[in-house]
Amino acid sequence: MQLLSSNIAQDIINEGFAFGADFVDVFIERTHNDGMVFKNSRAEDIQSGTIFGIGIRLIHGEQALYGYTNSVDREELLRITKLLGARIGGEGKSLNLNFEKLTYPKVPTLLDKEIDAKHKLAHLKKIDEILRMDTKVSQVMLNFTKKKQLIEVYNSEGLFATEERPYIRLFHQVVMKDGNLQTEAFYGPGAIGGWEFIEKLNTQEICANLLKQASTTLYASPCPAGKMPVVIDNGFGGVIFHEACGHLLETTSVEKKASVFWDKMGEQIAHSAVTALDDGTVPGAWGSLSIDDEGMPTQRTTLIENGILKRFISDRLGERKTGHKRTGSARRQSYKFAPASRMRNTFIQSGSYQLDEIINSVPDGIYAKKMGGGSVDPSTGQFNFSVQEAYLIKDGKISRPVKGATLIGTGPDIMAKISMVGRNLELMAGMCGSVSGSIPTTVGQPPIKVDEILVGGEA
Amino acid sequence: MKSLMEKVLNQVIDQKAEADLMFASSKTLKMSAQKKAISTYNVSSTQILGIRVIKDGRVGLSYTESLDEESLNLLVKQALQNTETTEPNAHERILNLSGSLSDELSIPEEEVSIALKTERALELEEGVKKLDPRVSSVPYNSYSEQDYLSHYLSTKGRFTTYRDKSYSITSSAVMDDKGKKSSFYDFQTAHVFKDLKFQKVIETALFHARNLLEEKSLPTGKYNVRFSEDSLESLMNCFSNLYSAKASIDQMNPWSNQLGCEVISKDLSIIDHPSFDRSFRTSKFDSEGVERKLLTLIEEGVLKSFYHNSVTANYFKTQSTGHASRSAGSPLGVYGTDLIIRGKNVKPLPDRYLEVIQMDGLYSGANRVTGAFSVAIKGYVWERGEKVGTFGNITLSGNLMELFKNVEVVGDELLASTDESFFSVPLIFHGVSVAGT
Repeated sequence: MQLLSSNIAQDIINEGFAFGADFVDVFIERTHNDGMVFKNSRAEDIQSGTIFGIGIRLIHGEQALYGYTNSVDREELLRITKLLGARIGGEGKSLNLNFEKLTYPKVPTLLDKEIDAKHKLAHLKKIDEILRMDTKVSQVMLNFTKKKQLIEVYNSEGLFATEERPYIRLFHQVVMKDGNLQTEAFYGPGAIGGWEFIEKLNTQEICANLLKQASTTLYASPCPAGKMPVVIDNGFGGVIFHEACGHLLETTSVEKKASVFWDKMGEQIAHSAVTALDDGTVPGAWGSLSIDDEGMPTQRTTLIENGILKRFISDRLGERKTGHKRTGSARRQSYKFAPASRMRNTFIQSGSYQLDEIINSVPDGIYAKKMGGGSVDPSTGQFNFSVQEAYLIKDGKISRPVKGATLIGTGPDIMAKISMVGRNLELMAGMCGSVSGSIPTTVGQPPIKVDEILVGGEA
Repeated sequence: MKSLMEKVLNQVIDQKAEADLMFASSKTLKMSAQKKAISTYNVSSTQILGIRVIKDGRVGLSYTESLDEESLNLLVKQALQNTETTEPNAHERILNLSGSLSDELSIPEEEVSIALKTERALELEEGVKKLDPRVSSVPYNSYSEQDYLSHYLSTKGRFTTYRDKSYSITSSAVMDDKGKKSSFYDFQTAHVFKDLKFQKVIETALFHARNLLEEKSLPTGKYNVRFSEDSLESLMNCFSNLYSAKASIDQMNPWSNQLGCEVISKDLSIIDHPSFDRSFRTSKFDSEGVERKLLTLIEEGVLKSFYHNSVTANYFKTQSTGHASRSAGSPLGVYGTDLIIRGKNVKPLPDRYLEVIQMDGLYSGANRVTGAFSVAIKGYVWERGEKVGTFGNITLSGNLMELFKNVEVVGDELLASTDESFFSVPLIFHGVSVAGT
């Protein structure tokens, strides 16, 4: 059963055109969320909820008008369309649309296996027990989320597209304490799929890694400060590319000339060792989509090839404003946001070096084994991100652990300084917040070496 | 709405359970400009209803954005189902409060035409550009307004109404001068349109962006630091777990065993003030319908109290302080209202200090369990009362709990953050680690 009848969609689109809009789309969303927060060795909060709403977008030239409501009532939807249309204030003719349902290749997902709450709880209890076998663990917090998002898109080009997206994620957080020393460690794998994703995770290995990370940082000394070479390991290390470069390649920034790369198409913007992609088609990956939120089949997009800027991440409005073709990257948190060009699964492609070779090349620097989050100002390219687990490198060997490291720099500068790229590409799930809300994205990279970066730590 | 909420609660009562409901609705208008035209124009009308059911001591939560009968039935059914998996929590009960409370801010104002709103919204972009040819773009500019209404209703009969109208404007400046780049943004909120200060927001964004064009790194070392009120507010909000009884239960509060102990400088007192006369918005009750009152968190350096809701109060065998926080779509937590840092023993400003006006990466670089944080900072260098330089591309690292032990009060006037929800006397933090050249 459709969430919104095609007749009402047609009426909305015609109303928008009557005011002179040259493109109208209607986005309908019903998302069911299930969540379980497990802490203090018990299920503390179990929550279910449904969000439902409709977003209406009128485009006139480069102007976008957007409205949304929870109501499916035709009159309310037309009222909002009129409110938006009045901003254009023009005149146009109605369309006689014959919506054709879009067929598209489905990006393979996992099975979306359902499981009852008691089994989920038993699994979380098991993780809690394993982690608490370490007597220094003072708290374990496990946040299980499952979301099933059903979307429909109608537009004035006669498109009708629909997709169901099952998301699943289990966020682990462990707090460790020894006397006055305290620290925490995180791990948050996620996928497009169901419970089978959780079943496939190696719980013992995850717990062992979390405990190792926490116990390492618990006794680590403060990180020295200053400019130095940094080796960033694979997986969530990809946040460096996401922040330092990825956001700057979204037409959302490019169209406002608020990206330092806005006029650099075809130019060398990174070291020749760097090839980077934004790929919405990775099977089962947290940031994958079959269609984007404008109903366009998603793509595998080469952004940088051997250091040369090849493509921007573009949506419909971005294409209008910049001329750069859409890449199936229009995304939004929910119907409450107009779509914008956003990253999906973004990563640096594998190179030829082993991690040991990269470490051995550094006489004095930092090995960032696990990165935290970060942020960027696209207009200046200045970024910052935290390091969760770090070690000193002395004479090409990993030395003692350090804590409190922050890396800061500018995108163009850092991209030119990635001089070595390793072999083992790994992707990691995360949430990215930007103009169209918080969305699931994957970051990733093989191990890389940045020749020089400012490390913030203890003076 | 109250009758609909009562109908839902009656379903719960029929199941021999108790519950409370949170309803929220909002209507918004937002517009922003690009290339001298309104480029985005958003209108919305949304609602959400959330329920917390307690049956046999077990809690279940659910929410819906559709208020038709089928959705409401499902709301109750899901919440009851969720109670079947949770374990009993003797501390979580619906508070035994009844009667109605209302907190409705209604300031009369003349109707403002959409044409005038549009004209002023356009200024937030063009007004910046025309003041300086080096402004390459104004990526963040917006005018927005919101009508917000929420209700709380419990099976014990507590009913509250909260209503607010607010306006907000943002402007920014990205500057490019011979390859040197900088950016800054500013914002303001108001309860009536005429109180919006468009020109001030424009000029503030431009003022700092111009200065930051000249930013230079600083040598790595220890510095005296003064945080702007906005920066200090961000820090205090990031580490709000320090005052949270819920965080204490969760082993996430490093001060959990420090009640009655000196935790920061004796020169400082920190108060949570729900009805401060300079606040942007006072608050009469919390998300469980408990009336709020002033709470002294720290008095002359000594930790006096935590924020409590009914659950944490039951756990610690005390009273709720009126700091329950819950939205329709979230579980019960605790959160503060407006913080005031008062000081005594005022000292003169040091000869040299850094004024931090922008911090980036606070939330990703903060460890709430230890109080440690590391951020990228920008701001001004002051020497003998004069601004002598602009810094950037450096990081500041520290531990909030330690910083507040090594602090001096350098004035007695309470200064407000931009959003007028945080107030502090001017403070200088000594020996702060900065990493640069």
